[in-house]
Amino acid sequence: MSEEILKALMQLFAIIAKQDVGLSDKEREFVENFLKQQLNESAVKEYLALFDSFIQPNKQKRQGDSDKPQKPKLTSVRDSVKTLGIAKKINKTLTQKQKVVVLVRLFELVNTDRNFTSQRMAIIDTVADVFNIRPEETEGISDFVTKDNPHELDSPDILIIKSGEKPNEQSHFIESDQLEGNIIILRVNSVDLYFIRYTGVSELMLNGLPISNQRIYLFANGSVIKQPKGKPIFYTDIAAKFLSDSSAINVSFEANNLGLTFPNGYIGLRDINLYEYSGKMVAIMGGSGAGKTTLLNVLSGIDNPTNGKVVINGLNLHQDKEKVKGIIGYIPQDDLLIEELTVYENLYYSTKLVYRDLTEEEITEKVNKVLTSLGLFHIKDLKVGSPLNKKISGGQRKRLNIGLELIREPAVLFVDEPTSGLSSRDSENVMELLRELTVRGKLIFVVIHQPSSEIYKMFDNVIILDEGGHQIYYGNPVEAVIYFKEIDNQINSDVGECPRCGNVNPETIFSIIESRIVDEYGRTTATRKVLPQEWSGHYVSKLKKEKETETQNYDMLPEAFKKPNWLKQMKIFFARDLFSKLANTQYMVLNLLEAPILAFLLAYVIRYIDDPTSDVYIFRDNENIMPYLFMCTIVAMFVGLIVSAEEIYKDRKILKRETFLNLSRSSYLSSKISILFIISAIQSALFVIIGNSILGIKGMYVEYWLIFFSLSTLANVIGLNISAAFNSAVTIYILIPFLIIPQMVLTGAMFSFDKINRNIGGGREKVPVIAEVMPSRWAFEALVVNQFKNNDYEKQFYHLRKLESELNYKNVYYIPELRGFAENYRAAKMANNPEPISKDDMQLLYNEVTKENKSPMASTHNIIFENTHLLNLDDFNMKVHNQLMNYFSKLQEFYRDNFNHINNRIDQKVTEMVSTPEKREAYQQLYNDYYNSYLARFAKNSMAPLPLVRLGNNLVQKIDPVYLSPQDRNPLSFRTHFLAPEKNFFGNLVPTFYFNVIIIWIFTIIAYIALYYNALSKLLNSLGLMGSKAGKIWLSIQSRFNKTKSVKKQ
Amino acid sequence: MKIPRLTTVFVSLFFFFAILSCQQGERQQATDLLSDSLIEADVRLDDKMIREMISSIPNPVEMSALLQKSGIVYSQDLLNPVNNINNYNTNFKKALNLGVYGTDLVYMNIYDRTISTLRYLSNVRDLASDLRVEQFFDYETLNRLSESSRNIDSVLFITNTGFDDMSRYLIDQNRGNISVLISYGTWIESLYIATNVQTVPPKSETIHTRLGEQKKILDNMILLLYTYRNDPYFQNLIDDLMELKVIFDDVSITYVYAEPTIQEVDGTVILVDNSSSEVNISEETVEAITQQVSYIRNKMVE
Repeated sequence: MSEEILKALMQLFAIIAKQDVGLSDKEREFVENFLKQQLNESAVKEYLALFDSFIQPNKQKRQGDSDKPQKPKLTSVRDSVKTLGIAKKINKTLTQKQKVVVLVRLFELVNTDRNFTSQRMAIIDTVADVFNIRPEETEGISDFVTKDNPHELDSPDILIIKSGEKPNEQSHFIESDQLEGNIIILRVNSVDLYFIRYTGVSELMLNGLPISNQRIYLFANGSVIKQPKGKPIFYTDIAAKFLSDSSAINVSFEANNLGLTFPNGYIGLRDINLYEYSGKMVAIMGGSGAGKTTLLNVLSGIDNPTNGKVVINGLNLHQDKEKVKGIIGYIPQDDLLIEELTVYENLYYSTKLVYRDLTEEEITEKVNKVLTSLGLFHIKDLKVGSPLNKKISGGQRKRLNIGLELIREPAVLFVDEPTSGLSSRDSENVMELLRELTVRGKLIFVVIHQPSSEIYKMFDNVIILDEGGHQIYYGNPVEAVIYFKEIDNQINSDVGECPRCGNVNPETIFSIIESRIVDEYGRTTATRKVLPQEWSGHYVSKLKKEKETETQNYDMLPEAFKKPNWLKQMKIFFARDLFSKLANTQYMVLNLLEAPILAFLLAYVIRYIDDPTSDVYIFRDNENIMPYLFMCTIVAMFVGLIVSAEEIYKDRKILKRETFLNLSRSSYLSSKISILFIISAIQSALFVIIGNSILGIKGMYVEYWLIFFSLSTLANVIGLNISAAFNSAVTIYILIPFLIIPQMVLTGAMFSFDKINRNIGGGREKVPVIAEVMPSRWAFEALVVNQFKNNDYEKQFYHLRKLESELNYKNVYYIPELRGFAENYRAAKMANNPEPISKDDMQLLYNEVTKENKSPMASTHNIIFENTHLLNLDDFNMKVHNQLMNYFSKLQEFYRDNFNHINNRIDQKVTEMVSTPEKREAYQQLYNDYYNSYLARFAKNSMAPLPLVRLGNNLVQKIDPVYLSPQDRNPLSFRTHFLAPEKNFFGNLVPTFYFNVIIIWIFTIIAYIALYYNALSKLLNSLGLMGSKAGKIWLSIQSRFNKTKSVKKQ
Repeated sequence: MKIPRLTTVFVSLFFFFAILSCQQGERQQATDLLSDSLIEADVRLDDKMIREMISSIPNPVEMSALLQKSGIVYSQDLLNPVNNINNYNTNFKKALNLGVYGTDLVYMNIYDRTISTLRYLSNVRDLASDLRVEQFFDYETLNRLSESSRNIDSVLFITNTGFDDMSRYLIDQNRGNISVLISYGTWIESLYIATNVQTVPPKSETIHTRLGEQKKILDNMILLLYTYRNDPYFQNLIDDLMELKVIFDDVSITYVYAEPTIQEVDGTVILVDNSSSEVNISEETVEAITQQVSYIRNKMVE
């Protein structure tokens, strides 16, 4: 209390005392006692003198004037004005709680002599009025101070402890058989303060100090009243009485024989028992490594215990998770705030996620109310910022974190180290906030480390754990100090708190618990005096109570709060994420500029004019179009991954909290994905518009966009997978090359699939399997095929050229190759070779002729070799050979004539298109603008060393892949050769472009499913387990091996 | 750079040797077939005849080698610009200019101007590919050639058979017209270069003589084209050549026969043809030929 306040108080006391009858000796004694409690001896005198001087001016000794008739005087105007002034002054500096205390003291002063004159009461009323204390509360205080008879105190704000019957209707009552007189307790609701007075004469102790029946005491958190005989009365008992009929739901929380053994065999918790109910605040304390947080996690249902159970209102927390989840709140040590949003927005989105039925105004109102109660209203529009880049203080952050949970009012709240890293002022604020919650009937468990005395005393109960998860104490906090002191045989062991200042030092407990043996040189050793199991033994034998048999009546648990439906949740998540992104200017600018800048760099660098003598850029001559398509796929992957790789990782703490809200994971993921997809769509559009227009790729914006977008979105989802599975940002970014580089290698652009290692499928007919799982390969193929086939120039000729290509291949390469085998036979036969044709060659002839018989072109023209059954080593002879040669000739003639026919048609078409100079000009323009000769070379594989190759006993076409339809028409075979123009889809041919887009989206869906089930993280975990198991097995093998070695040596 | 360089050598040699070796025997028949009446008649030459006549068209290498040996300065300006390839859209144009670019390539190579040969080579490949005769320019053969490039005789053999194969193939495929057009383009481009290089008298003598000798080839060429005269484009070519023929009528060639002798060279006995022909050609005629050839050629490459 400051000097100024004390002075003001003295003045107030004086004004009241000098009214009417004037100051009595008792009153002066009261003031003196009051001062003694606050000050040292000399200062008391000083202030008492001051008090006297305030009284002096019209001091009237009652003794002297007693014979004169007393006229009832009105309070002088001067005194009234003074009172107002003082009260206003006090208003500015004291908290509401302190003001209530002052008011009580004023009543007490008057009560000392029981001179309740109207003037004195008028002044007190004025003060109460200025202090903004509700009239009914002032009246309650007045009644509490003045009335001794419990029967008269008929109010719900009063609690009476006495022997015998309940004295009246409304007040609360605790029966105490051996108590002499009454203990009366008043609760001042608005500030949650309890006052106590005692009317008897026996020696009661409040927190180890005697209670005078003259005085009124503040009954603070954690206080305890001890009577000479009978049970002590704890603060919590009192508070529980008051709260028992408040509107909050009653929760009974019970933990029975909880035990937890970690997978590595270490025991985290042993046989923990506790029983709590609404309106309590319980501390979980212990040295580091004692298992505080472990216990909190088990109690809150995050971790499952190995033994025992947690029962909330008859429901097993770990088994009926869904039913109980909604009433549990968890506030982890870390921040759960979204840094880019303001204080208000953080709370706003949380509220929206929790309450389905509220209107926008109701939500705003609710948020504002919570903000006010948190004392954060004035900073509601500040951005939260990161802990490094502070915008709001640590205490404010913490309070906001608590606010996130408060908004949905969970019945049981778990808080992990709320005060760590906070100043003592902030710590107290935060704890007071929590304390206030218990008033509203919440049950709060708090893991706390080194609490100050103030904070320590706020708890109703404390659970003390010792190394290895032993429960060594469970009960009243102040008692705890006494308990440990007693065991330690310390002097003054029955005094829990400092008699002078009321401080409790919880550190004493830990110094006793962990005290170490001192050796003969006075050095402390590593051995503890009392081992955890011994402490646990003490606890079990001395303190552990059997569970109270009277089971409290508890309410049915409310239905899990009314969370919004899937779509609404998604909208809220979406808005929250969107606004937090929009608020991050750096992020937005970089993301939006990334694609266009990359596009510009790439396209501008590779745009060149081939002809050194010309200044006109010609698309057709640009050799870099194929590499550009390749880069498109890589950029799409890269940009997509980068955008998403940290998304979930960033949110993981918030996600942990939100699991308590029972919100839909898929709506969360969908909101993430929608935002990422929108970003990707914009990025893709920017990239394609800029890149394609610089390079003069005309008329294909939509197709390019679709591929770029599809690939980016896939990369987004893959990125989300990594960000959900890995636990550090560095790991995530190290992983990106692992995802990108194989994509680059196996796209088919840098390394031809014909020229990669045969062990992974190089040089086969179809694309290697390993490349089939590379999304970039599908994208690249789609881009190349689409660019080649569907540009405005080629599309006029494509169908003809495709036919021409097939005819040409058959005519020029294929049939002559087959002929060669047959001719070899003939030559060998002539030379009387006993084995004129090998089994393999025979098989090849059979395979190819059978295929050719089925080929649409030849079969429709009825050029068929009937005797395929004779194409085997036994039946093949010169006669069959001649038939076969005849067949080949017919075929070749057919292909030749048709080739010429088609070739002429194409030539006629071109000739027609260039028949006049104007037409020719137009044709030339079209050709230059749309057809890229280098891309065409790539698509036609013109550089193939061989037009066809023999793979096993089959011939495979290698040239003109872009004109070659898939050969394998089995409905289930989706795979084809690289750059096929169409794909086989259940026996139908689908254009490659659409087919590949669908494949990429299928990849995306698979990745999404994996994300939803967190498959990657599960896989990593099981790999980790397998790894550690394998390690153990390896070690045991090694040790056995070493043993046998040593045996051998012997 | 190794392979492209060797490829260039190959393509040049290809054109060089394609026709060189086949001149001897066919000359007789080709001249016999040539007569005015034949042109008027509705002739359909058989495939074998066409093949032989195509083989008789002189190789551009001959012309280029002659120019180089005579010490005549290389002239880049005479070549068909690389980018002209963009103008060739139809098979007709493509075939003609395949001949033109081939000839240019040979000319550059003989003069060892290798800087821009790569692009001409690329043009040749592209045109061949468009005409679907790319199999005669395939990698396999190119590799075989690059390996045996030190043995010039084997390269000669391969290229020679290569060209022969190509024309035989085209004729087999009923695409003799393409073959004829390639030959035509080759021949006209050779003539164009020979007539347009800067020459001074003693050297020009030889060149003029060689030019006069082309009178016989011209007749063969007209005969070849005549087979496809139903095609208006071919008819155009014939019309141009007929005008050239009028100019060539002023050239007289006297054939002097001498007994062949047998000689022994490096232990091998060979037959040496001692016959020779005498060509009479005036400066005016040369000038006129030059103009007409330039006209035909420029129309062809535009």
